[in-house]
Amino acid sequence: MDSKFDSEQNVTSSVGVMPVGQNCWKQVYRQVVNVFYISVWKKAWPLWAGALALAFANIFMFAYARAIGVFPQMAMWGSYIYNIFGIKVYAPFTAYPLTPLYLDMHSLINFGIIFGVAISAFISEEFKIRTDNWRGYIIALIGGGLMGFGTVIMPPCNVGGFYSATMALSLSGPLSAVGLLLGAYVGGMFLKRQAKEAVDALDFSTLPKGEPVKKTEASLQPFIGMMIGILLIAVSFFYVLKGMSKPAGLLLFGALFGVIFQRSRLCFASAFREIFVSRDGTLMKWILLSIAIGTIGFTILKSQGYQQMAVVLPVGLHTVIGGFIFGIGMAVAGGCGVGILWRSAEGYIRAWIAVIGGMLTSGSWILIYGDYVGKGWLYGKPFSLGHHFGWFGGAALIFLFLACFYILITFLEATKNEKN
Amino acid sequence: MKKIKTIKVGDSHYQVDMRGWMCPYPKYAVEPLIQKLEDNSRMDMLVDCPSATQDVPRVVRAMGCKVSEVSQIGTGEWRIVIVK
Repeated sequence: MDSKFDSEQNVTSSVGVMPVGQNCWKQVYRQVVNVFYISVWKKAWPLWAGALALAFANIFMFAYARAIGVFPQMAMWGSYIYNIFGIKVYAPFTAYPLTPLYLDMHSLINFGIIFGVAISAFISEEFKIRTDNWRGYIIALIGGGLMGFGTVIMPPCNVGGFYSATMALSLSGPLSAVGLLLGAYVGGMFLKRQAKEAVDALDFSTLPKGEPVKKTEASLQPFIGMMIGILLIAVSFFYVLKGMSKPAGLLLFGALFGVIFQRSRLCFASAFREIFVSRDGTLMKWILLSIAIGTIGFTILKSQGYQQMAVVLPVGLHTVIGGFIFGIGMAVAGGCGVGILWRSAEGYIRAWIAVIGGMLTSGSWILIYGDYVGKGWLYGKPFSLGHHFGWFGGAALIFLFLACFYILITFLEATKNEKN
Repeated sequence: MKKIKTIKVGDSHYQVDMRGWMCPYPKYAVEPLIQKLEDNSRMDMLVDCPSATQDVPRVVRAMGCKVSEVSQIGTGEWRIVIVK
């Protein structure tokens, strides 16, 4: 029989003769599983996909309500906890006043991120309660605490203060990169030294013989992930029914960010840390591309009169110092503000402790400093490149910064290759 | 200091258990580990940090060694087989 004819009519398989339609459906099923399950949930996304998705998600969320940033609302959570225990303190960021968390639309972005990461981690069978020893927890607490101080001094965090601020044409964005870069280097070297000490204590020649760890059976995690997804939709629907459609949208946007971060492993802490520690700028280069795309989107929106001073932050020496403190904190805690939220939802106890440390230090800022973030002797004034150099000029300056940063990273990578 | 759990599986075949070490510890540890490993050896590195499944092979290949397998062995756990 002609093989072409065979494929068009009936296919002989191990289960017998299969009608054409059935074969087509099998192919459709295979294709759907491959694209919508294997590529999305089982394989890590390529970095470029994560970078592009992140940029467009941030542009769309900004057009909807606001840009991504997670720490100011976490600082509010910290102040909220102090008040529960009878310590009267205002939340440090004026735009994030003390509010019950379920009514605070900014907090819903964070909850959305936790939801999104949990959905993603469970469906891809990557969720695990990951414990550490007491030293690890203390380091996480210190790292989180440093991030908490860094976020109120800089302000705010890595993703809000560098990523979103740069694309929003705030001068503070590029300046914060200086502090973050140096801080992440200090923190990264501390981790590298710890890893080396642990390896130094090893001797391959005197190891006991043992049984290798075996592969375990398939788990119920994908099913749990889908259940969490259904819960997210139900919660969003509930908010819509209560007339809170904007918070509902932000919850879903947060979940989208959570999925993007979890699947692409686009870690900002790692991007800053690895530039000097490993002379590897791969991650940061993709983040720079993401910022470039975001800059175009934000500039278009702002030039049309939309939220022109949004994410334009105070700028001064505090931007660099705060960035430095935040940089050390994010490196030793194992993630920036988004990073520790994301890893909390993946089951890292160390990240939970870092979140607590970050909340409690930033939440106490008014008790320590005596004023709100952005006010008083410590802070400079917000500086919008768009307002000072025109929207086109401001965007051109950001592109110049991105190009210079790219060249610096490439130069550092080249010095490593030369050394080798 | 936290210890890295390591066993000998067979002749020139070791298992280095870095589950419980968050990223970037496995990435930072793999370079000195490979330096300590004798030639023609195999090291199975167990990790529970998803990023390590990308970071560790990149470092290993940059050192001129081979990554013959990266496979999931449980929920949130992977084995990276490194051949020197």
